[in-house]
Amino acid sequence: MINKYKINTGASVKDYNKVSDWLSFEIPNKIKISSGKVDIGQHISTTLALICSRELGIDINSIFVNKLNTDITPNEGITASSLSVPNSGTAIRSASIIFKKNFLDFAAKSLNLNINNINLEDGVAKDPNSNASISFWDFSKAEEFLKLSIPEIIEIEDQKNFDHSSHVETKFINSIVKGEYKFLHDLRFDDMLHARIVRPPSYFHKFLSINNAIHKYLKDHNLKLYIKNSFIAVLGNDEFEVIKSLNRIKNSIEWEQVNKLANDKIFNLIDQNSKDSLIVKRGGEAFRENIPEIKSYNNVDHKTLTSEFNKPYLMHGSIGPSASCSFYKNGKFIIYSHSQAIYALKSILSNAFNLNEKNITLHFMPGAGCYGHNGADDVTYEAALLSKEFENKYILLKWTREDENCWEPYGSASKNKLTATLDKNNKIIYWSSEAYSDTYLTRPMVGKLEYFVSQRFINNDFKKYKVEPRTGAHMGIHRNLDPIYNFKETRLVKNLVHDLPLRTSALRTLGAFANTTATETFMDDLCIEANIDPFEFRINHLDDNRAIDLLNDLKIQMEKNKPSENGFRGIAFSRYKNSASYCAVGVELTVSDNVEVELKQAWISVDAGEVAFKEGIEAQVEGGFIQAASWSLYEQVNFDNNEILSKDWDGYKIIEFDNIPLINTSVINRVGFPYLGVGEAVAGPTGASISNALNRALGERIKSMPFSQENITKQLLG
Amino acid sequence: MSKTEYILNVNGKSKNIVSSEDKPLLYILRDDFKLTGTKLGCGLEQCGSCAVLVDGSKILSCNRPAIEFVDKEITTIEGISKNDVLNEIQQSFKEFNAAQCGYCTSGIIVSLTELFNKKETPGKKEIIESLSGQLCRCGSHASVLKAINNIIKLRNKND
Repeated sequence: MINKYKINTGASVKDYNKVSDWLSFEIPNKIKISSGKVDIGQHISTTLALICSRELGIDINSIFVNKLNTDITPNEGITASSLSVPNSGTAIRSASIIFKKNFLDFAAKSLNLNINNINLEDGVAKDPNSNASISFWDFSKAEEFLKLSIPEIIEIEDQKNFDHSSHVETKFINSIVKGEYKFLHDLRFDDMLHARIVRPPSYFHKFLSINNAIHKYLKDHNLKLYIKNSFIAVLGNDEFEVIKSLNRIKNSIEWEQVNKLANDKIFNLIDQNSKDSLIVKRGGEAFRENIPEIKSYNNVDHKTLTSEFNKPYLMHGSIGPSASCSFYKNGKFIIYSHSQAIYALKSILSNAFNLNEKNITLHFMPGAGCYGHNGADDVTYEAALLSKEFENKYILLKWTREDENCWEPYGSASKNKLTATLDKNNKIIYWSSEAYSDTYLTRPMVGKLEYFVSQRFINNDFKKYKVEPRTGAHMGIHRNLDPIYNFKETRLVKNLVHDLPLRTSALRTLGAFANTTATETFMDDLCIEANIDPFEFRINHLDDNRAIDLLNDLKIQMEKNKPSENGFRGIAFSRYKNSASYCAVGVELTVSDNVEVELKQAWISVDAGEVAFKEGIEAQVEGGFIQAASWSLYEQVNFDNNEILSKDWDGYKIIEFDNIPLINTSVINRVGFPYLGVGEAVAGPTGASISNALNRALGERIKSMPFSQENITKQLLG
Repeated sequence: MSKTEYILNVNGKSKNIVSSEDKPLLYILRDDFKLTGTKLGCGLEQCGSCAVLVDGSKILSCNRPAIEFVDKEITTIEGISKNDVLNEIQQSFKEFNAAQCGYCTSGIIVSLTELFNKKETPGKKEIIESLSGQLCRCGSHASVLKAINNIIKLRNKND
């Protein structure tokens, strides 16, 4: 029996409610999908094609995803916050269902048949008793097709029988393994100029002068120098000559340092600096209200514990530095960008250059994985600016490794302070959790050109900008500050700390990595205090059956594998934003005599609603686990009063193949439930499960990431 | 700007090159041979994106002058598959979707091609050594390791 259920067709359909906004049948026997979500390695193209393939019964190899271009593809906003499958996936699914339903009606009428007697195969409806047939492609030429609209709610049939175990080749893997996949960095146009920015030593260096001798060198090497106040770029036809000139140009410039980067250690600054403090209520919204004092329970029936967790600045650290290519002629821009926010960039550039939006086209072209707001937007703005100065030339601007490491907006350093009280039944009756951090939200926006890193140099305006705290549910700093557990009383406080030294913005999960790590490590401290199994302790504080099922699933998975010799295990769990995927993580690690942490085994249980692409979900959670393990064990941006010191991979260590555990992933398929975003769900539980395993190995909680040999030793020695 | 002329052999094809003496191999591959599968990641020999084979051994191409490789056989990711037939590493990567953004993948496949050409069934230590310095930020490591295990399994089966 086929079950039917209703789904909401989602946010993207509100703006684009025609089937033809999403599906096109222009090429015989092929279907073209339009989506406004960019493929940044998360396999969204494959997932969307698979959703369409399943609904329409068309081979996935006959389905293509349109190349993203702001003139033709739907504006679905920024590709962020684990919303691509919930928004775009639901839209494609809905469009496919509406198309198929109307096609069958059309075919029945055209073939003069009862719908139940139609034989539909590969997009062709056949009358089994004659040779008469009609196809999707025929229907797409009919007037009715362009009129098809998608309602807010539609009925769908469940797909319990769909086999998710068979291998689906991702859309670009064949060209990737052959080295034929084209990244933005590979673009070539005739007479194109390569460009690099001549960066000052820090955010606070103003250009004073340049030694005139450099001009002969530039002329001899066919290079051009562009200087606007303190924004300086070098351009030339030969990329290597451009790169080679950088140090020589830098050495010929005199800068004035107008401010220091920092005057104290980051965690002291977080404590000392001025703050905007807001109350966060259950549900995750923040409010400007009086902050109550932390309650104290001073009696024999209660036990009160406290905890603190520190996270340093983390970088996105794309393997391929940010790049953009721009062409300007007769008041029109053609721009290639790998930004997650190409539609927003169109509006911003229109405003910045005083041009009508219709004169700006942004094409998305892949860059290296970015994991949030990295340098992709900055470099696009810089390339646009240069192309306007060098009209009628394609300008391919790439950041250097040092640019990428020192000038991208980092994931903020942060601090969490927690207090909780257990009653005599070992139930948490009071939970106070405070998050302290700089902003995670300086993505570019109209009227905020200062969010582009070069703007201060273009205008010689070195004032620090002040940001306002965001209050929406689970926005940056307070993402996942509201725990999913049913604590009787909570006190949740978000603190936006001002005047912190480094530039920050959205890095995968925003504040959720720190907040979930803080919550889940403290839950482990409390369960140890209560002497209760960590699964049982969490389940005792949960009402959500999906959360409970997930923890039970993780427990079963972990019991299947034998413990490693000298291995210690830790678990953690969260539901990202309390509204996206549920994810539970188990980790087993060893700690050597010289305090090096080796990850031995890992288990991930994930519930992302109805499964759209199982291998895609596995890749996202396993990749997210590895990235978050890298943050936890190795990463921190180092800087001193004058400059950022983590200039290259020697100065910013990330995880390598020598510390990748055996990962066992279990995907729970919730047929009939909405798609839930999965790209960020695993990070917080990963940080916490590593910390929890380490706590059990050392008998002491290490409060500050990264859990490097140096940091662990420092804390153990007091 | 003084330039020099030399011949390079890449993926079985020879080409006359005119460049400055210090121009690294990476830029010659990308600019002169139009082989853009080899990537510029750091330009500092730290990330492995620019790995190519020279006479069968892996080198990082982002810093070393191309002129060093005259009279050598240079193989890039594009030359690893013969007549459009993927080598066993590429094939296995395909079967395990062992890439996310794919920027680091060329370098990783080149490293493993060297390893599996030299060793029939490499052990864990040899695999880790081969991939040391091959950075990936998306976390495709787990799928890469599955693809490697698959190659070893297939080779053992064929013994």
